[in-house]
Order: sequence, then structure tokens, then C-alpha cells
Amino acid sequence: MIGAVLLVGAVTYLVYAGVRETSMYYFKIDEFLARKSELTNEGVRVAGRVRSGSVEKKTTTAGTELRFVLSDFGAVDGVPVHYTGVLPDMFAEGRDVIVEGKYTPEGMLRARSVLTSCPSKYEAEADQPHPGGAG
Amino acid sequence: MTEVGSLTLAVGLVLAAYGTVVALAGGWQQRRDLIASAEHAAFACWGLALIATAALLHALVTHDFNVEYVAAYTSSTLPLNYIIAALWGGQKGSLLFWLLILTSITAVVLLQNRERNRDLMPYVNAVLMAIAVFFFAMLVFITPPFERLAFTPPEGRDLNPLLQNYWMQLHPPSLYLGYVGCAVPFAFAIAALITGKLGDVWIRTTRRWTLFAWFFLSLGNLFGAEWAYLVLGWGGYWAWDPVENAAFLPWLTCTAFLHSVMIQEKKNMLKVWNMVLVILTFLLTIFGTFLTRSGVISSVHSFTQSGLGPFFIGFLALSAAVSLGLLGYRLRLLKSENELDSLISRESAFLFNNLVLVGIAFAVFWGTMFPIISEAVRGVKITVGPPFFNKVNAPLGIVLLFLTGVGPLIAWRRAGWQSFRKNLLPPLLAGLASGVSLAALGMRSLWALTSFSIGVFVLAGIVFEYYRGVRARQAVAGENAAVALLHLIGKNRRRYGGYIIHVGVVMMYFAITGTAVFRQEQQITLSQGQSFELGGYTLRYDGVEQESTPHIAYLRAKVALAQDGRDIDVLKPEKRFYKKPEQPTTEVAIRSTLSGDLYLVLGGFDEDTKLVTLLAYVNPLISFLWYGGLVMALGTAVVMWPAAVPVREPRTVRLRAPEPAVVD
Repeated sequence: MIGAVLLVGAVTYLVYAGVRETSMYYFKIDEFLARKSELTNEGVRVAGRVRSGSVEKKTTTAGTELRFVLSDFGAVDGVPVHYTGVLPDMFAEGRDVIVEGKYTPEGMLRARSVLTSCPSKYEAEADQPHPGGAG
Repeated sequence: MTEVGSLTLAVGLVLAAYGTVVALAGGWQQRRDLIASAEHAAFACWGLALIATAALLHALVTHDFNVEYVAAYTSSTLPLNYIIAALWGGQKGSLLFWLLILTSITAVVLLQNRERNRDLMPYVNAVLMAIAVFFFAMLVFITPPFERLAFTPPEGRDLNPLLQNYWMQLHPPSLYLGYVGCAVPFAFAIAALITGKLGDVWIRTTRRWTLFAWFFLSLGNLFGAEWAYLVLGWGGYWAWDPVENAAFLPWLTCTAFLHSVMIQEKKNMLKVWNMVLVILTFLLTIFGTFLTRSGVISSVHSFTQSGLGPFFIGFLALSAAVSLGLLGYRLRLLKSENELDSLISRESAFLFNNLVLVGIAFAVFWGTMFPIISEAVRGVKITVGPPFFNKVNAPLGIVLLFLTGVGPLIAWRRAGWQSFRKNLLPPLLAGLASGVSLAALGMRSLWALTSFSIGVFVLAGIVFEYYRGVRARQAVAGENAAVALLHLIGKNRRRYGGYIIHVGVVMMYFAITGTAVFRQEQQITLSQGQSFELGGYTLRYDGVEQESTPHIAYLRAKVALAQDGRDIDVLKPEKRFYKKPEQPTTEVAIRSTLSGDLYLVLGGFDEDTKLVTLLAYVNPLISFLWYGGLVMALGTAVVMWPAAVPVREPRTVRLRAPEPAVVD
């Protein structure tokens, strides 16, 4: 009995501490834009759309540098994203993506990873693996 | 054919509903005619599901692009094996496939048991048919697989390239067999609750089915991991994505159940707990099926919302309410006759094992659902990523591994110092010695040291058990060691097969530890002829080559691999461009050895500068994950192998191969 209580306590603590240390806000782009002023230097995940015509890519021996604007789904408003690294296969202009990273004081999202979501014609399945994303 | 398919589904829905009601009535009034009629309905449902599946396969194979499903998931250039796999490649087809497995399993269960367990069977049939009603209803009303388009497109949109992979043929069927298999013990449990026959008949009857489900759940998860490893190109095999978690959750509770039933069989304890685990496992399989289809959690897997959500939620809530209601109603009858004698005993080791497994399941569930929970509570979606799951589960996993070693060695009821010294001390010392040696060899990670030494402790305990069993047989029967070993396993498959499964588990822990702690990675951009080093390998980029087929265009980077100054291999990681869905994918190149994999990804090729970006990973010990899985499969086969003689062995076996500790 004591052991069981201890164990339940341990699990609760681990979950609690785990959540506190690793949690991250998850916003749709419009929610993010509405409250971005409070989010400076916070880790965030933002889901939005890559604005058409905004992608700049430069490959040097230092790696591939990518800049684009993550815009809302009507492509009216957006936030610039800066990312260095390998692009997921499905990345393209007009695609829905999830950017994970930090919102800098200069008003830019410095991405640690960019995940692409499935094109909407495609239904998700248990058997469908994790598409792309250098996580 | 598709009209036939739609029709069979509609008829199936009616028959399944009829079967459910009539089976319940027949059981209630003890009317053989009604019970038999419900059984016939179940067999008919099986036949109908077969016809519907055949109709969909026919449409797929004949490229009937007028059928929405065929146009959405195949194309004229898709190879036949993937056309067949497209049956479970999309929402509608996969639900039909689920139903086919369910009705097949129902038929087999009925054939096996209708003469043997007359009291339980009407209710077992009713439960399984009720589940079938749900799936038939979805296929008829929500996701009709034979839906036709208003026009016939000249070409299909093709199967998602990520699914065009060898493991697509094995992973989903395994997982579904596992999921659906869990319905069998659930149905028996509900039947036991309804009839009040709460002894361990239902547990003994479903033991093989539970193992069957567990086996396929294990394989399903493992195949999924292998697939993710090969296809996703991030060097890992498990990302704690909601969809992966959905498949992992029922595996955890099912594993817990497989262990705790032993306590019920031996000690008549934990009856309520076992009921809870069976019910939970079944609900989690439905939850898993739902999670991947609902768009409730925005996983990178599931982005489309489908109208299935409310129905699944409804079905889940109904199943939970009915089963927990029944459980509450019978709670008094389920009172244990025995109490835990001591904290230091096999019972309590098993109990802890159960608590840890359920604890892990809880943590995984919590982490998966956290965005929803936080949104409901605080109005903001907050996610936890892989670091959460790793942080929480690593310590719990270590405790679990330790209990894996303790459980089989510790005595029932109450273990004293004597038995501790005799049974546990030698393997503990072996584990400790291995830890000290690894530290002396320069291993500094506390995680790795703990995991490896506990793993060695478990292995040593198993070897020790085998050794003692063989010696005892040799002494009594005068057999040579090999014969004695075979007889030992043969006479008590459950115990010695279980040990083999544990060996597989330890191997997998080694792989997980190796990759989690000692993984190396590098991302680098190179021009032709340049090289870099990682994990003792030298990798030189030697240019790209291109190839094209009507289905796929390939771009390969040639990377020469050298070790100790000698060229040993050429790896060719690829980018593929699938022409029908116009979608690129990454195909990794792997050099695999027992000590570890070199995993190479073509990150990108810049046409203008001719620079190539490569990602290289060294994953130590990862092959043990797959070999561990094989060993687990072997152990499960030993456990499940039908006994040649009726099972009456335990008593005699005990005389020859004494229980490891105090005989109870």
C-alpha cells in the first residue's frame, strides 16, 4: 500500500515536473498574432501557412538558410520566420506548416524546426508515419 | 461490384443489430434456438464483410476511378502490392478492414467456444456483434467506402508516397489484429460480468486471445517504429507523436493485464483490477482508432477533420458506461479472497509492475491529451513534446526493467533473506559487476550505466533460472543438457517462453539506451569531393546521379564510406519525387552492423551551387531493437504453442524443476 502510494506520487511528480519543464504554447497563427507582444522570448509552436512569394532560400557551405513569412490562412497578416537547416520534403509556398521556435524581440520567429502537415486531401491514418520535419 | 459492396454493408448492419439483440435475449431466457440464430447472424456478418472487402479490392485492382476511394488512394502506375495495401491506406477502407478482422475473429471465437462455454457465449457474441454494429453503421452512414464520384477522373491521386513502403504491408494489419484482438477478452469479461460467473474461466479461455492481441500489438508498434526509422529521415524511430502514443497505450495496459492475470490464477486476487485493465485496454483500442481519425489532436499525422469524432466519442462513452456500470453492479462478487501477505513477494512485484505500466500509460495519455486539457482549463493550447515523454518515462522504464528481473525470481507470498540470497543475489551481483566494468571502461552516463547493469541483472536471472531448471531435469531424468532444455521449455512453456520474451525486452532496452544516450549526429553542407567524419567513419561526397521511371524520379547522392583509411561501402541516400501526387520524399541510406547503424539522409541538393546537404547519424545498438523484437516473437510463439497433452502439468513440473524460491 505504502509502495503503491509512493509510486503514484512519483508518477504524479514526474508528470508535473515534465509538463513544467517542457511545455510550449501552441497557437494558430491568428491567435499568435493577437498576443505576440506578450510572447517575446517564449518558446512557441505556431501553425500557419507559408505565404506565396515570401520564401527566400540560400545554400552555402554553412548550410541552407531559409526565410519566409508565416501568414494567416487568408494571407493578410503574418510574421517573418528565419530557419537554418534541412527542409522537410513537403515544404512549399502555400503549404500549411507548424513552426517551432522562439519569438525574438526583433519580431521574428527563429525556428528550431519546421513541420509540414499533410496536404488536406489526404486523410490521416494510424499507419501514416510522421511526415518530415527535422525534429 | 460496388453496389454489391454497399448492399452487403447495409444488410450486415441489420444482421449485426439483430444478432446483438437476439443473442442477449437468448442468453437471458436460455433459449438455444435464439442463441443459435444469433450465431448464424454472426457468421453471416463475417461473410458479408468478406464480400464487401472483396468488392473494394476489386474496385482498387481494376482502377475503377469513379469510386472516390479508388481515385483518392491509388493510381494506374501504383504497384499491385500497394494497391492492395491501399485497402487500409485511407479512412474508409481501413474501417472496413477493421470490421473484416472483427467479424472474422468473432466467427473463430464462436466456432472455438460455442460448445464449451455455453453460459458465456451468447453474451460474448452479443458484445462482439454490438461492436460490429458500430463499425457497420459508420461504413453505411458516415464513411461509405463505395461512394461514387459525379465524374470519372482519368487518373487517381495515388497513395501517399510515405505509405509506399514495405512496412505499409505489415504494420497496419498487425496493429489492427492487435486492436481487434483486444475485443475478445473484453467480450468475455463483459459476459462474465453479466452472468456473474466471475471465476477465472473467462480468463483461462481468453488467455491465448489476449496473447494473440498482445503479440500483434507489439509487432504493430515495432513495425511502425521500423517504418518511421526508414521513412522519416530524422534518425530516430519513435517521436511520441499522438498517433504513435495511441498505439502504445493499449499495449501498456494489455501487458499489465497479461501479468496481473497470473496473480488472479494463482492467488485469486486482483479480480476487479483485471476487469478494469481489460475494459481499459479495449477502450484504448477504440480511442486509438478514433484519435487517428478525428483531428482532435493536431498531430502532424492527422490534419483533416472528419465527421467521425462525435460517433467515436459516443461509442466510447457508451462502452465505458456499460462496462463500468456492470463492474459496479458486480463489485461485491469480485471481492478478493486473499490479501497481500507481504510487500516483499512476487505478488507485490507483479502489482508494482502493473502500477508502473499503468503509470506510464497515464503519463503518455496525459501528455498526448495535454493540449486539450490545457485549452479546457486555461483557454490556451499548450503542448508537450518528446522531451516530456522521455523525461517521465525514462525513470519509470528503468523501474519496470528492474521489476522484470525481480518478478520471476522472488518468492510467492513472502520472501525471506534465505530466498533472497539464493535467488536474487547472484544476478544482482552480476548486474553490479557489469555496471562497474562499464564504468571502468569509461562509460560516464548514469542513465546508460543503470540501464545496462539492470539489463544484465535481468538476463543473469533468466540464465540462472534456465540453468537451474536444466540441472534439476538432468539430475532427475538423466537427460543431456540439450534434451533437458527442450523438455524444460516444453513442460512449462508459459514460464520459460515468458523468460524468452523478457530477453527480447532487455535487448530492446539496450537499443533504446544506446540510441538515446550515445547517438551522434551531424548536419553538413558539402561540395563534390569534400568529406567529413562521424563516429569513426569518414564520409566523402562524390556527386549525384539521377533516374526516372513513370512513377518516380530519383536523385541520389553518392557518398563513399571509409573506416580506418579503407573504403568499405558506398551509400546512396535519395530524394524521390512521386509523379502522381507531385510530392517529394526522402529515402535514407543505412549501413547496419550489430554495434550500430550509420544512417545517412540527403537533406537537399542545390541546383545552382551544386552543394549537397547531408545529415548523418550514428545510432549505437539500434539493431538490438529489431532483434529484440524477433526474440520477443519467438518467446510469444513458445508461450502460445498449443500443448500436445491437456494442460495438467504444473504440479508434476514443480517436482522436477522446483520453483525458484520457497514452494508455496
